[in-house]
Amino acid sequence: MNAIELRAVTKAYDGRTAVADITLSIERGERVALAGPSGCGKTTLLRLVAGLEVPDSGTIRINGTLVAEHGRNLVEPEQRHIGMVFQDLALWPHMTVHGHLDFVLRYDKRSQPADRPSRIREILEMVRLSDRGRAKPGELSGGEQQRVALARALIAKPTIVLMDEPLSSLDPELSLHLRGEILRLHAELSFALVYVTHSREEAADLGSRVIHML
Amino acid sequence: MGLLLLVVIVAIAGMVWTASRRNGNVVVVYVSEDQVFSEPILKDFERDSGMRVLAVYDTEETKSAGVVNRLIAEKANPQADVYWANEPIRAEVLRQQGVSSVYRSPSAEGIPDQFREPHGYWTGFSARARMLIVANGSVDKPGSVLAYTDPRFRGKTVIANPLFGTTTAHIAALFTVWGDERAKAFLDAMRRNDVHLASSNGDSADQVAAGNFEFALVDSDDVYNRRKQGRPVEGIYPDQDGGGLGCFIVPNAVLLVKDSPHPQAGKKLIDYLLSPATEKKLANSDAAQIPLHPGVETPVDIRRLETLKVMSVDYAQVAAKMQAIQPLLKDWAGR
Amino acid sequence: MQRRLTLLLAVLALAVVGLLPLVAMVVTSVFVSGKLTLAIYTKLLSNPLQYWIALGHSLTLATLSAVCATPLGVALGLLFGKTDLPFRRTLTVLLGIPLLLPPYVLAICWFNLLASGGLLAQGAPVQLTGLLSHALYGLPGCWWVMVSALAPAVMILTLVSLHAIDPRLEEAGRLVARWPVVLYRITLPLVLPGILFGGLLVFLLTLGEVGVPMFLRYPVYAVETLTQFSAFYDFGAATAAAMPLLLVTLLMLTLERRFLRAKVYNLRPSTPGRRMLRVPLGRWRIPAFLSVSLLGAVMVVLPIAALVVASLSPFAYWEAWRQAASSLGRSLVLAATGATLLMLLGFFCGYLIRTRTMRLWRALDTLTLLLFTLPGTVIGMGLIALWNRPGTAFVYASAAMVILAYLAQYIALTSRITVATLFNVPQSLEEAAQIAGAPWLARIRHIVVPVGLPGLVGGWLIGFIFCMRDLGASMLVYPPGQETLSVRILTLMANGTPSLISALCVMLVAVALSALGLLGLFFRTAAPRR
Repeated sequence: MNAIELRAVTKAYDGRTAVADITLSIERGERVALAGPSGCGKTTLLRLVAGLEVPDSGTIRINGTLVAEHGRNLVEPEQRHIGMVFQDLALWPHMTVHGHLDFVLRYDKRSQPADRPSRIREILEMVRLSDRGRAKPGELSGGEQQRVALARALIAKPTIVLMDEPLSSLDPELSLHLRGEILRLHAELSFALVYVTHSREEAADLGSRVIHML
Repeated sequence: MGLLLLVVIVAIAGMVWTASRRNGNVVVVYVSEDQVFSEPILKDFERDSGMRVLAVYDTEETKSAGVVNRLIAEKANPQADVYWANEPIRAEVLRQQGVSSVYRSPSAEGIPDQFREPHGYWTGFSARARMLIVANGSVDKPGSVLAYTDPRFRGKTVIANPLFGTTTAHIAALFTVWGDERAKAFLDAMRRNDVHLASSNGDSADQVAAGNFEFALVDSDDVYNRRKQGRPVEGIYPDQDGGGLGCFIVPNAVLLVKDSPHPQAGKKLIDYLLSPATEKKLANSDAAQIPLHPGVETPVDIRRLETLKVMSVDYAQVAAKMQAIQPLLKDWAGR
Repeated sequence: MQRRLTLLLAVLALAVVGLLPLVAMVVTSVFVSGKLTLAIYTKLLSNPLQYWIALGHSLTLATLSAVCATPLGVALGLLFGKTDLPFRRTLTVLLGIPLLLPPYVLAICWFNLLASGGLLAQGAPVQLTGLLSHALYGLPGCWWVMVSALAPAVMILTLVSLHAIDPRLEEAGRLVARWPVVLYRITLPLVLPGILFGGLLVFLLTLGEVGVPMFLRYPVYAVETLTQFSAFYDFGAATAAAMPLLLVTLLMLTLERRFLRAKVYNLRPSTPGRRMLRVPLGRWRIPAFLSVSLLGAVMVVLPIAALVVASLSPFAYWEAWRQAASSLGRSLVLAATGATLLMLLGFFCGYLIRTRTMRLWRALDTLTLLLFTLPGTVIGMGLIALWNRPGTAFVYASAAMVILAYLAQYIALTSRITVATLFNVPQSLEEAAQIAGAPWLARIRHIVVPVGLPGLVGGWLIGFIFCMRDLGASMLVYPPGQETLSVRILTLMANGTPSLISALCVMLVAVALSALGLLGLFFRTAAPRR
């Protein structure tokens, strides 16, 4: 069973086709980089998988379950158990780092309230932010914010993680470091990774398979 | 957020609960008489009767959303028991709209028939007289409303906007007494004589007291209050001579609302309002109103009704005429 | 599902609160003696020329007021919200005071000041006072009162909108241009929805205003038609007469939507924790301060001083307290409850309009604005027609009717303020919570509301002020013995002593100012959180 399966998926906005008749399968644990110029539909594809957009035609399956088809979502985004790192990170300005992670666990039906503190400690250690739990996003550096976004995406142990150009605004050194972190986390947690980038170098580094979109 | 919602729910529950307080020993009255005068009377009734009075008071000259409209709107399911009008025209309108019911109060004994609806739909009490307020020391003093057309007073007179209040009623009364043609001619002559318009009777009275104009047609309480304030004015009851029209009297009027929720309580309130004791209070207050019961003690400044020549009018006719001449008055006021 | 159901409930609530009373009144206007007829409307169309002239007067007054109040309010909002003007907080409060009073009361303040025999006449040259007194009546006086009454609304809306701007967007502009260019080309376009709504607000409120033009003798449409209605007690005619006003509203709404269509921006998230950028005024600091102070002195201090001076008598405040303490307490509870429910319902309506979750978003937005334009009389009559029945007596006989009147009349305010607030809450924040598994209500509660809180609190504040000073519909539906302070002031105006009326007005201002003060404190403590 594949982690993600798209069949003949098309999506258009105001008459402009963003994604045209795409068929794609991603195996469990696979790392796929989606590369291509701006406006080629990479982000749209990610949002379709997440359920934040609905395909005009075609079908989408996640872990074998049909989640979307022909103009409607059969499974809403909050029920797909996907982790996502947004391009703008989408950190909640009023919540602490700890609060971000606790929020996710609160709505993860598989987690027990008693386990939350330890899981939060664990993920903060993984992303090397153990001492920044009480900080709010405004008090963090760019790299720290990225790691919070990563931690939030991973804490519920999703089988699929989507990343939309998460390192695009960072300096090369930090970007390189975080790429290593992502690979390390992937090795530990074995999620299917779909990584959107317009950098060939990043794509080659992070993807065991690179798909070029035009 | 939960606390906020809880507070809101409690507030609404409290509001709905207050609705239940309408049961029991209460009477609901809608009042067009000025609140400063009527409220003390209603509080006295509460004290004397042990009943609770729930009142809705009318607003100023705008009257675009007054209690009369509310009474008419609520006709299908009345909320009020009693309506206390500051002039009989409104009471007449309500009779015509089917809002009032018949009640002949024993307290009305002695009130002249002219001030009572023949079938008992409303009863007048405590009246104002329409008077001319004149600055002290004026050489030429008017004796009639016709003075508005006297060339001696050209450009030196003022009258309240005829679209509202007692001025409208007075003009409508002139229409019923003189006939349409003569009344229109009077209005036109007033205009040609450069009469000024004020926003209200009170404004007119103030303008005369300030020396801006020679005289104005106002209510008796406007005169009384300016004199009480020490302003240099006097009041003249117009048209009192042998062939004169007489003075237009504007009584308060009270009626029992049809199908009201507390009719017995309403009748008790009406009896109280129509009593000589209430008339005495209103005469001795700043309302300075003329009792309609004969023999009621009044301050020196207030003439008794029996000493006045009163304009003989049918208030039902006046009410009908008032509505009919609205377009004419709007046109006249707009010129 | 949760989202759809909640939004549907909000739509239903709005239908009950606003649409049904309106339908009740429209039905009254087309059913005469049990027969369907358009006689009232044909009569309206064949009205004498004076009615159409009056409509022209209304449009003139509304346009002039909006054209002047909007830039004035925006300029003040920018000065107080984006510059280092000294004492800007105090000046914000000072210039917000006229909003707390019903415009009719402000007209009386100006009358006390400028009329022959007024306060100014006792010191100023006769020619000047004569000129001012003459100008007070008619269009100039009405225009001045409405501008001074409503410019503060635009100012507050501008301030609320400015709070939500991501400072990085302005910083990017500052790298290539000076502040005036950044303000004009970057800041103002970002707060355009809030500004446009402010302008629309001024226009619509002026269009429907009755008290001020009546008092200052300027024949406008609302006065002409309501006078007619009050003479003949014809509710159908009152509703029919309101139709031209509704048509004008629809036209303004269409223009606004066309203008905004190409100018809606989806923003990236604001950098958390960064404070608003302030424009240093430099050598203009003192002249700006003096100019604003002068404006405040003319627009606010003078008329309020006239009010306070008129209230200065030994027992006025004691008598005012004795007469109106219960009304005051009641007003506070009703206004607070009204504002809370307005914000609750307005939030969901605004969310629906902003996200266009259902196809009827346009109809919803239009309905709220039409209700806002309708004279309070018509809304009041509609509420009576709907709720004054044996089965709903427990509601009709209670103060809940006043709340219903507030909801019907002012839902447009909180709905539109929510739309403007949500424009600056990046959708990705909600999407991130959705991906994390949070159901819709949890996302609203934990993400959207906290991030948009300053804007939403501003909406509550505006709702509170308008409820506190409301006269229109609430005057018709308040239960006997439970009048609000504004109604009390108006009923006592006839023959209440000037000092008593003035003292009551001062009380109204003081109470509303205290509420403003508390909220000001909130803003001060809430700001660092961002």
